[in-house]
Amino acid sequence: MSKPTPLLPESDAREAALFFVVAALCFLAVLATLTARGTYTAAQAWSAQVEGEMTVRLSDTDRRGADEAASLIRGLDGVTRADVLSHEEMERLLEPSFGPGGIPAGVPLPLLIAVETTPDSVTTAASVTNTLTSAGYTAVAESHSDYAAEARRALGTLRVAAIGVVVLLTATAIAVIAFATHAALLARKDIVDVLHLAGAEDRFIAQLFERRFWTLGLKAGAAGSVFALAVTALIVFSAQSAGAQSQLLPQLSLDFWDFVILVVTPIAAGLAARTAAGGTVNHALKAVL
Amino acid sequence: MNRFRPDMTGEPAVELNGVSLRYDTADEVLSDLDIRLKPGSFTFLTGASGAGKSSLLKLLYLAHAPTHGEVRLFGLQTSALKRRQLSALRRRIGVVFQDFRLLDHLTAFENVALPLRVLGQKESDYRDEVVDLLRWVGLGERMHALPRSLSGGEQQRLAIARALINKPDLLIADEPTGNVDPEMGQRIFRLFVELNRRVGTTVIIATHDLALIREFDAPVLRLQHGLIVRDVEHQPA
Ligand SMILES: Nc1ncnc2c1ncn2[C@@H]1O[C@H](COP(=O)(O)OP(=O)(O)O)[C@@H](O)[C@H]1O
Ligand SMILES: [Mg+2]
Repeated sequence: MSKPTPLLPESDAREAALFFVVAALCFLAVLATLTARGTYTAAQAWSAQVEGEMTVRLSDTDRRGADEAASLIRGLDGVTRADVLSHEEMERLLEPSFGPGGIPAGVPLPLLIAVETTPDSVTTAASVTNTLTSAGYTAVAESHSDYAAEARRALGTLRVAAIGVVVLLTATAIAVIAFATHAALLARKDIVDVLHLAGAEDRFIAQLFERRFWTLGLKAGAAGSVFALAVTALIVFSAQSAGAQSQLLPQLSLDFWDFVILVVTPIAAGLAARTAAGGTVNHALKAVL
Repeated sequence: MNRFRPDMTGEPAVELNGVSLRYDTADEVLSDLDIRLKPGSFTFLTGASGAGKSSLLKLLYLAHAPTHGEVRLFGLQTSALKRRQLSALRRRIGVVFQDFRLLDHLTAFENVALPLRVLGQKESDYRDEVVDLLRWVGLGERMHALPRSLSGGEQQRLAIARALINKPDLLIADEPTGNVDPEMGQRIFRLFVELNRRVGTTVIIATHDLALIREFDAPVLRLQHGLIVRDVEHQPA
């Protein structure tokens, strides 16, 4: 004989609606997490790269003076490179401002020295400025990591916001599922009553609903996560193929943690659904003799 | 005092002491009832529509707790039982509901097997038993039909089969001939009598079918406005 018909009838329209809501919530949660994580990773890579880079701006001197200043810097502790930017390099740097025609004659240009130090170097922007000033130059050195620190602060805020969004979405999902289970329970009160009066224990009846909603949560969560992954990939791919400078765009390199998020989300959705269903059913049963 | 105490020895199967029932804030539906039913007894419960028959039966099959008084089943005081013990007690009671309460997505076979699935039994274990019972109530050919495709009388007999599959110690039937013609009504009553005589099941049947009551030799509890007004003794034909 074939498998017995489930005691709880197969899903109806109400469950399709719930499936959609849970999938959508999981989609948003995974999208928020993946984007925040991607942005964070990219920003960390960027700030690690600019760590140890600085630019020295000289005024009141000529190219020869700049070369002498550069060799002075090269003599400092931990400095791996100090080069005066050539006219071509300056033109490339300023092309966005002046266009491909080059820098018009007569525009006063500062002389710039690009400096790189080892990451643990004691030579800071301040010490470079001091050295040059005492040697009689009018110079200002700026460390690129100063910008990175600001970016990192902004990213910290972003991370807190992302966690908040995920928590909010999870709570919403649980509330929606509890509500939906309650509705399903009322709709199938005939079944619950008959089972109850036939001597079924609360555990038995609760399990029927728990199993149903666990599966629903799991499937909806998986659908939402996979869709979120696809959308994230699409965003990154289209941004990259548009040739944008992708350093600060979310980097989607499916690493271990992204994988964990994709696996954990459906399980969390399933567990949330299961717990909400079990709680609702038990609560309803306690109200009858 | 409304007291009905047949001669008896041993623990009553059903015992109500000073039982009253009130739904929400409405008037009392049952007032200060004292009832004792011996194990193996066969009792009719009668009274006009709205007299409280179904309400009294609900107390007996543990769907509702009384507002006052105590309900004892097989010597157990039900208000003192834990939820699991109540579930276990319900398994000793077979109920034929006035509105059947068949599950519309399950076949006739599966509806009858329901109380056994609740116990965690496998189909291979109960299959023959269920088939035999369905044949006994005359539904051997309709095993795979859904309830909505059955006639009123067939649904009634299906509900009876489901109430009996557990071999209950107490069978409670609420107007079990309400939806069938007199001939089928007689067949159903004979089924209950057979069960009572052969297996010793305690049977209580709510009905207002006086013709049928007259035909079967059993004591009658008459309810009127929530009171037991009389124990109609069997009139010899
Ligand atoms: N669940 C309920 N809530 C409120 N009143 C009810 C409920 N069930 C029955 N009643 C009332 O209790 C009285 C007795 O009903 P019932 O026990 O069904 O009588 P009978 O089965 O003898 O026709 C009726 O007045 C009915 O309206
Ligand atoms: Mg009734």
